[in-house]
Amino acid sequence: MSLSTTSLSTMKGNFAFRDVVLLVSALCATALLLIADGNANAAENEIKLNPPEKGSVSEESGLQAWSRIYEVASHPRCANCHTGESDRPMWSGPSYGQARPHGMNIRAGNSRIGAETLLCSTCHTTLKEDRADANSTPHAAPRVAMLWRLAPKEAHWFGRSSQQICEQLRNPELNGGRTMEQIAEHLNHDLILHWAWQPGGNREPAPYSLQEHVNDILTWGVAGFPCPGV
Amino acid sequence: MKLVVNDSEYDVDVEPDMPLLWVLRDELSITGPKYGCGIAQCGACTVMVNGFAVRSCQLAVGDLNGAVTTIEGMGSPESMHVVQQAWVDHQVAQCGYCQSGQIVQAAALLAINPNPSDEQIDGVMSGNLCRCGTYPRIRAAIKTAAKRLRES
Amino acid sequence: MGKLRTITRRTFLVGSVAVVGGVAFGAYLAKRAIPNPLLDELGDGEAALTPFIKITANGITLITPRADKGQGAYSLQAYLLAEELDIDPATATLSPGLPGPAYYNRVILGEGTPFPGYDESTLAETVRGFMSIPAKLMQIQITGGSSTTPDMFERMRMAGAVARETLKEAAAQKHGLSRSELNTDNGHVVLPNGDKLAYTSLAAEAAKLDPISAVELRDPDQWRYLGKPEMQRLDMLAKCTGTEVYGIDKKIDGMLHASVCANPGIGGELLNYDADAAKKLPGVEHIVPVKHGVGVIATNTWYAFKALKALNCEWGPGPYPENSDAIWEQLSEAVDNPDMLDHRQRDDGDVDASLNDNNVITASYRVPYLAHAPMEPMNAIVLVEDNSVTIWTGTQIPLFIRNRAADISGIDAENVLVHVQPMGGSFGHRLEMTHVEQAVELAMSVKGTPIKMTWSREEDMTHDYPRPAAITQARGVVNNGQVETFDLSVGQSSMSSSWFKRLAGMGVPGPDATITTGSWDQPFTIPNYRVSGYRAPDMVPVSSWRSVGASGNGFFHDCFLDELIHAAGADPLEERIRLCSHDTSRKVLEGVAELCNWNGSDIGENKGRGIAFCMSFGVPAAEVIDVSVIDSRIKIDRAFIVADVGTVLDPINIEAQLFGGLIFGLSHAINSELTYENYAPKQNNYHAYEGMRLYQTPDIQVKVLENGEKIRGIGEPGLPPAAPALGNAIFAATGKRIRELPFNKHIQFV
Repeated sequence: MSLSTTSLSTMKGNFAFRDVVLLVSALCATALLLIADGNANAAENEIKLNPPEKGSVSEESGLQAWSRIYEVASHPRCANCHTGESDRPMWSGPSYGQARPHGMNIRAGNSRIGAETLLCSTCHTTLKEDRADANSTPHAAPRVAMLWRLAPKEAHWFGRSSQQICEQLRNPELNGGRTMEQIAEHLNHDLILHWAWQPGGNREPAPYSLQEHVNDILTWGVAGFPCPGV
Repeated sequence: MKLVVNDSEYDVDVEPDMPLLWVLRDELSITGPKYGCGIAQCGACTVMVNGFAVRSCQLAVGDLNGAVTTIEGMGSPESMHVVQQAWVDHQVAQCGYCQSGQIVQAAALLAINPNPSDEQIDGVMSGNLCRCGTYPRIRAAIKTAAKRLRES
Repeated sequence: MGKLRTITRRTFLVGSVAVVGGVAFGAYLAKRAIPNPLLDELGDGEAALTPFIKITANGITLITPRADKGQGAYSLQAYLLAEELDIDPATATLSPGLPGPAYYNRVILGEGTPFPGYDESTLAETVRGFMSIPAKLMQIQITGGSSTTPDMFERMRMAGAVARETLKEAAAQKHGLSRSELNTDNGHVVLPNGDKLAYTSLAAEAAKLDPISAVELRDPDQWRYLGKPEMQRLDMLAKCTGTEVYGIDKKIDGMLHASVCANPGIGGELLNYDADAAKKLPGVEHIVPVKHGVGVIATNTWYAFKALKALNCEWGPGPYPENSDAIWEQLSEAVDNPDMLDHRQRDDGDVDASLNDNNVITASYRVPYLAHAPMEPMNAIVLVEDNSVTIWTGTQIPLFIRNRAADISGIDAENVLVHVQPMGGSFGHRLEMTHVEQAVELAMSVKGTPIKMTWSREEDMTHDYPRPAAITQARGVVNNGQVETFDLSVGQSSMSSSWFKRLAGMGVPGPDATITTGSWDQPFTIPNYRVSGYRAPDMVPVSSWRSVGASGNGFFHDCFLDELIHAAGADPLEERIRLCSHDTSRKVLEGVAELCNWNGSDIGENKGRGIAFCMSFGVPAAEVIDVSVIDSRIKIDRAFIVADVGTVLDPINIEAQLFGGLIFGLSHAINSELTYENYAPKQNNYHAYEGMRLYQTPDIQVKVLENGEKIRGIGEPGLPPAAPALGNAIFAATGKRIRELPFNKHIQFV
């Protein structure tokens, strides 16, 4: 019996009930491993977490920091994969005109990794380690050293106002229970976010730099997470 | 660099960023997986890695992490995989160039979900482009293959 | 069907030759409506030179010279031969053969004659017959124009019958019997005592005989394969198991891989490039300049692709307007400009008087440049040796390639061998040969080493030679609930001229019928009815694209007709039937009405139904499309197709060709176009040229009729009605009349 048949029948065995949930958890486990891998790798271009002194940031400076954060969050490199309840990633850029749903009827599902239909990693393959030229081909599927995915539903940024995103990000119930430091730390470890600043393939990167973005998060946090227009 | 394809082990001397597709086609002469777009837009290069469908034009051989199965490893003209047999019974192929990828993707779908709904078929198979327009028969063949898999 | 019997009264010139260990047969139908001595002279030698059937002691080879781009032509040709030869074609070897003049296409140039497809008058048929003479003299072995079936239907069955009777004669002589006492059964001659002699065992004797030329074709009711669902495609097994060897898969010992980039402004110069950077990259063997570009020869196609990017080529301007705006301006200036009138083949009644005296409905339609973009990018393997060139490539024009390779290499054409390979689609792309020319140039630089040159998808789409863009002005009058006046002016560059310049080094003199094919030649009678073709200057080099002129004209003609019918307040189907003056076409319209249960274009809230009709390549085709509006997006729910091909040979494949044609038409109608910037198309891969995906594909019902007098090909006619049927359905659902393709410039799709 050839290997192919073996691997197929093994799959049938593993998924005796053909239960998608099992598949999702298997893949999520893989993803966690990869994120752990990513930690080691991220150390090379370590982001510094130096929050300003408590009480040293005025609300006005905090709001200015927020408006820069919003520029990043609403940028297509970020917002296109923060689609909220919709499980359809978005495409935008010079070839697409206005942002539009990802072609090919792609849906990330509840798993947010496409496990219910077509895994994101079918095309957005997983690198063993991040490398500078991995995404140099224009219009190819971006790839990083972790499982490609859509952001959680709660982190809904696409098409949202500055105020809406701000309210979400500062609410522990909607931001994964994270403190300011944990948000910044998360940025340091999520390699898809790193990709947003070096997307390759003639894509426009997210504004500022990852370090500047982290600094802004910390500044905004020290200012007490002020949101505009309240 | 060592890799396992269709149950055989190969040793290739290539740059690690070479896509698996071009290792298969030009180094190993395994030409079932096709070059169509090079950017994951057509699916003609689809293979399985550890049983999961992957666009081999997007997977650098240096990032390969498991055994590869191509259309040739699924079945042969003498002994077809149930999905291949359904494809023949429905006379799906026209030019046939995308069908290696379509068949591998369909087999990957049925391995997980032996009774896919139309919506699930649409969700999985819409990444595989067919310029001849064989889609109606692809849908029918998947349903036939699913039925046979469930009955077997 | 009774008319088939008249074939035996015609004259056939038949040849056979001894081949190594066996015999080869050819059959050539010499006479059409007009006897012609030229045909007689050439026919004999041709048949003998390039046979359709080769039988040796080892087996039977069926030669199928028309290219199979996916439309099933190899299988069809094999079954035509096998039906009369009386073999199971699955047991034979299929080969496209080496290109030769005997395989010239008698039908294809006939499409350029000034008679609509429904005109089967003696004059029309006579002129079409004459067109086979230049085809022959020009050695046009071309696959295209849905011509394989009409061209080969009699010709290949005759070859099969001649071979069968000659094998029987060989058996008769061997056993001292009369041929009339013998029968055949599945590859064997059957003697009166029941003994069976395999054809392969009779090959040597048959080779010594004059072929039996007075043969009678089987009556269709005796057909074993033709017209039956048993006629399964012979390439299906290989294509479903990954074992079909396309040109891009072919391997020749010692072969190196290569790719080329040429000026994206087709015909522009290469100004500069950095060979040093590319040479240092892994796997790179040679950097070789070619016409308008440069190629990389490497040990792997991927290395060649990578090195091409490192060349940083600098390009000169293309020899045509720089961008789409400038191109549209030139097209607009051509329409209704008397100086640019190319032809007016339809001018019934008094259009000008009617337009002067009535309220005039006007509209302007346009269609964009379109790439063929078959799934297999263009490629060719070329081996140049001291006195020969060998080429392996998938092509519709093998003889042109042979002659061009001879010109480039300086090697005599008879020493250029072209091995036609299975093809991953074409849609007309393989009527071009730039990629082969480049591969020959590369191979000349490394004589003795075979070079496989593969275009990247980006190179392929940039050098696709697209379907011409076109723009129209339309005017019409309705009165008393009826369409009274229809006036359509079409402006376009000449496809034929552009293509012939590349193929033969010169343009075509005279008018280019393809500018209005699909609109001037429709089987309708309208009191004042005019179609005019205006010829814009040559711009982007353009080519034939599936259904050729009808791809745009079908949209212009039918959508504007639909506008007039709605303005008249008439039923879209009933008014088309009332206007239709061709019995076979009317039955197609009635057929589609029955299939879809037509009851008007209003099929409920947020839904709409559109009908369209187009006759192309002599095939009347009507399509009905149902759409829904979901969150302001259009979803295509159902489609119905009815077409008449005269005689159905391969029912399963015909259905596939018809729904495939519809899907190809819808693919481009919903979301595909090439737009130009800096001389190059902005769309260079499928991300920006998406086509239709499985989830967008409607349920499709197909019905094929056989009322037509002549047998017709079906690779193209399913396409032209698709876009107008969708446009008419969108109008029915939304009240919005979209006059520009692709539709997604104006409305979104699910």
